Amino acid sequence: MNTFRMTTFAAVVAAGTFIASAMQVADAAAAQRIEPTQIEMGDSARLTITASGNDASTISPPMIAGLEFVAVAQSQRIETINGVSSASTTVTYQVTPQEAGVFTIPGAGPGSAPVVLTVNPSSGRGAVSPGGAAPNARLSNLPAGSTRVTANGTAFVRLRLSKHELYVGETIPVDIQVGMRDGFVASLNGLPTLNGDAFTLNKLSSQPQRAEEIIDGQPYTVLTWHSALAAVKPGELALTIETPLTVRIRTAARPDAGLLGEGDIDDLFNDPMIQNFFGASREKEITVASAPTAFTVLALPTRDRPADFSGAVGNFSISSDVSDEKVAAGDPVTLRLRISGTGNFDRVTTPMLHDVEHWKTYSPTAKFTVEDDIGHRGEKTFEQPLIATQPGTQSLPALTFSWFDPTTRRYVVARTSPLNVAITAGTPASQGSSRVSLAPAPSRNTSASLAGDRDNQGLRPDHVDLGSTTASLMPHYYQPVYIAAPSLLLAAFSGGWFWMRRREQITLAEAEQANEFPQTDSLLESMEEARAAGDTTRFFQAARLALRGALASQWQVDPALITLAEIEARLGAGSVTARVFKLADEAAYAGATLTPADFQWWKKLVLREISNEAMS
Amino acid sequence: MNKRTLVISLVAALIGMASLAGAGWAGIVNAPADRSAYSAPALYNLGNFYARLGRPAMAVLNYERARILAPTDLDIQENLSYVRASVRLPALHSQHDRLADPNTLYWIGVLGLAITGVTLLLRRARSEHRLVLTAGAIIGGLLMALSLGDAIATSDTRHEYVVMAATPARASPTSVVEPLFTVPLADVVSVQDEHLLFALIRDTQGREGWVARRDLAPVIPSADSSTSATT
Repeated sequence: MNTFRMTTFAAVVAAGTFIASAMQVADAAAAQRIEPTQIEMGDSARLTITASGNDASTISPPMIAGLEFVAVAQSQRIETINGVSSASTTVTYQVTPQEAGVFTIPGAGPGSAPVVLTVNPSSGRGAVSPGGAAPNARLSNLPAGSTRVTANGTAFVRLRLSKHELYVGETIPVDIQVGMRDGFVASLNGLPTLNGDAFTLNKLSSQPQRAEEIIDGQPYTVLTWHSALAAVKPGELALTIETPLTVRIRTAARPDAGLLGEGDIDDLFNDPMIQNFFGASREKEITVASAPTAFTVLALPTRDRPADFSGAVGNFSISSDVSDEKVAAGDPVTLRLRISGTGNFDRVTTPMLHDVEHWKTYSPTAKFTVEDDIGHRGEKTFEQPLIATQPGTQSLPALTFSWFDPTTRRYVVARTSPLNVAITAGTPASQGSSRVSLAPAPSRNTSASLAGDRDNQGLRPDHVDLGSTTASLMPHYYQPVYIAAPSLLLAAFSGGWFWMRRREQITLAEAEQANEFPQTDSLLESMEEARAAGDTTRFFQAARLALRGALASQWQVDPALITLAEIEARLGAGSVTARVFKLADEAAYAGATLTPADFQWWKKLVLREISNEAMS
Repeated sequence: MNKRTLVISLVAALIGMASLAGAGWAGIVNAPADRSAYSAPALYNLGNFYARLGRPAMAVLNYERARILAPTDLDIQENLSYVRASVRLPALHSQHDRLADPNTLYWIGVLGLAITGVTLLLRRARSEHRLVLTAGAIIGGLLMALSLGDAIATSDTRHEYVVMAATPARASPTSVVEPLFTVPLADVVSVQDEHLLFALIRDTQGREGWVARRDLAPVIPSADSSTSATT
């Protein structure tokens, strides 16, 4: 009984304290408004909160996952009416959305009405429907996986998928859901990621869907991304998904639940605004992981595997056509192969045609048209330019494509029908100047052909003569094999140069050793002295004497008979010896002068001539 | 070896080099060993084909490749300018407007080297006709300079890529930072650096940024590139 009275008294005191606090809060918060109420991604809105009193710290920004609040203005207003003064404080926040959806911003305090902000995707994507889901966006129709909420109940990550047995390379649709307890999650710090290297995940859908869900009586905002999952190796494997979050946690002890019970009071104290008001919470970054999901991944069978199997797994159908069924020879046509269905389109490849008789083939290009938001369903189109080289009805062979069907657990080989293209000779008049023919045509590489010679698309016409070919577009300068050619040539010339120089030195040495011209040494010394003195006349006289002696010895005649006329007759007027004789006369009679470099050059020539005459 | 033998050998070497160069011009040296060979008209025609299909990036890529082999071809330059204008790209710069294609100029350089080497050796071996031999060495040197200049001018081509899809350029090689600018479709950019899946590019306006490599196609494909054209 005594205990009952004490409990009742404590409850009354606590209730009185709470009511007083609630009244204080009610006094502090007055109103809030948001303008505009509907914006697009990339834009921002302005939230204005007005509270009575002159203490701006009583106003705090809301915490809404997906919205960022930045205070941009603050003002105070004091009014005196009939001698009674009242003050109010206004804080304006810039609200920037991080994702599209409909956001409900709770009241700034008890008695303040919530406001709704609608965020549409960027222009051209349509408006967001109430409830947060984009128009035409499918809700998750996959079976729900197990939900493992964090220990403090603030968030969870969940995986929803259609099956748990798949083949290596097979892609299956998967929904990744992140649940966040309203008011407890300050921000989502990144996209969900796989934990492990046995699976790959396609690019997540650009905008997550938003929905509300009640779990264990608590409201959660659930964001859902659609994607496609694929396994890269066989075995019994498990997968978890992780997401980084910032949550707000309590730092002050809440009132004893035993006294007040688990109910509205508890919820009220858990309200983040109330916690923030009392300064009883702080933010913390955590990583939330999903419960492990088990998979059985099967290896693709090797039996009956087609030779051209490229790793495509799914359910596909193929078709082919050509851009024109009748063209002129030399005109390009496009061969198209369309592969549509569901599966791992990143492994859907085909070499198309090559080495087809009467056709020139070019490398194909591929274009993937996605029909869902995860890249699992769509159509991949391969386009290959072809040019017929001969007129007549030319056939394009059938195209094949093979894949593994996980439903029937068999390989499938699909084959298109051969296509016939009528190739006409020459240029049909109806096809305009853009068409080319096999008939010889003058080169169009001259400026004269530029005048007004364009097709109906403004392009200059094709070239008929395909000219010479090269194996690489890389210029020869940068190909090692071509760099070697001039290098070898340069080395050969350098080697020849040094060989000739060495040969001259050896010849001179041999001539000196033979000592066939005893007077040569003194004459050479005389030349050197004249060179040092810059005496041109003396230099050439010594050179003439040396050459005369060498020639007399070679020709077995008296040196006095060695004249310029005799030399010109025997050696030619342009020979070095004849020129030395002429220069000796010029220096003696006309006073010719030489530079130091000329002295050296002529000395070398005279020495070489002497040695040549000694050797011959 | 006497001088006459030496002279005959050098002249024979000169004739051999000239013949080799001539063979290169005639396409004999460059004859394709297989079907994966390039020719300027075939690339030009392929560019026209893609232009008519309404695919300007592929058209520009093939025109740029054709322009490497035939830089003086006015048809290629006209159609390339036309396609660039159709996607609102600025007018062509005259980087490739050279005297001849790089491979011809390469052989001209080799010929110049041969002439220079032979004339210098002859000039050393013979005392006659020095003026003529000096002139020959100068001519050979000019031919080498012409080839060397073209090699320097061509060096940038190795780093040129065509933008196959309009792509955002960012300040760092990651997709989470805000784009600095968007590189337009079919523009030709120069790749300065690469990091994982990104390439640091410089566009025609001198702007630099990191873009996804999958949005670029090299003007000069590597040997195993799937985008090479067959003729």
